Amino acid sequence: MATATSIQQLNRDLADKLVEEAKLDLPSWPLGKFVGIANGHVIVVSDDLDEIVSQLERAEPDPSRTFVVEPGRDYTKVCEIWRIS
Amino acid sequence: MARAQWPLQHGRPIIEIVLTLAQGAQKVTRRLLADTGAGAMHDPFDIVLDEVDCLMCGGKPSKMVPLGGSYSGTHPIYVIPIGIPSLGFRDSLFAVGVAAPPAGFDGIACFRFLNRFTYGNFGNANEFALET
Repeated sequence: MATATSIQQLNRDLADKLVEEAKLDLPSWPLGKFVGIANGHVIVVSDDLDEIVSQLERAEPDPSRTFVVEPGRDYTKVCEIWRIS
Repeated sequence: MARAQWPLQHGRPIIEIVLTLAQGAQKVTRRLLADTGAGAMHDPFDIVLDEVDCLMCGGKPSKMVPLGGSYSGTHPIYVIPIGIPSLGFRDSLFAVGVAAPPAGFDGIACFRFLNRFTYGNFGNANEFALET
């Protein structure tokens, strides 16, 4: 049986693949369209994050074996949280 | 239309959210600094939370995000259901997990989240409120 760590890596690898594939077909992956992954497989695609959460919980109760990705997003962009003085 | 208001904490605006712990489904309240300078409208997260809270609530992992300003380096994002009972608000949000929220607070309510509501002091200088 795959360990939790290897499942996490499988999930991350699949998420990275989806992000790369989305770059080739951006109109099909607008911001706000999410993919729920569990145990290395796509479980649900939806623009409703609550739907993603509930389907993932039905498929896999252990959250560490799940993953949520927004394939149309650029995750390399630095997001600024301005300093709190 | 519903409004929730909270007194300023340490002279700063806050909101209170309710998290549900994964073990035992206990509800816990967290006070977040309301910060319109935290992130932009189209950034991939709504709130900043202690990563321990993200994990205790059974947060579902998402991608890492590089941060600048008050935080540096890459940080994990989690999907977490949160509630604001006095607003009748309940939704799943993207939370950035950090090792240390701002001193005196449990996290940050970022601009992307605040902008879901009408927000401000609504004429009371000692409070901050959200209105649906």
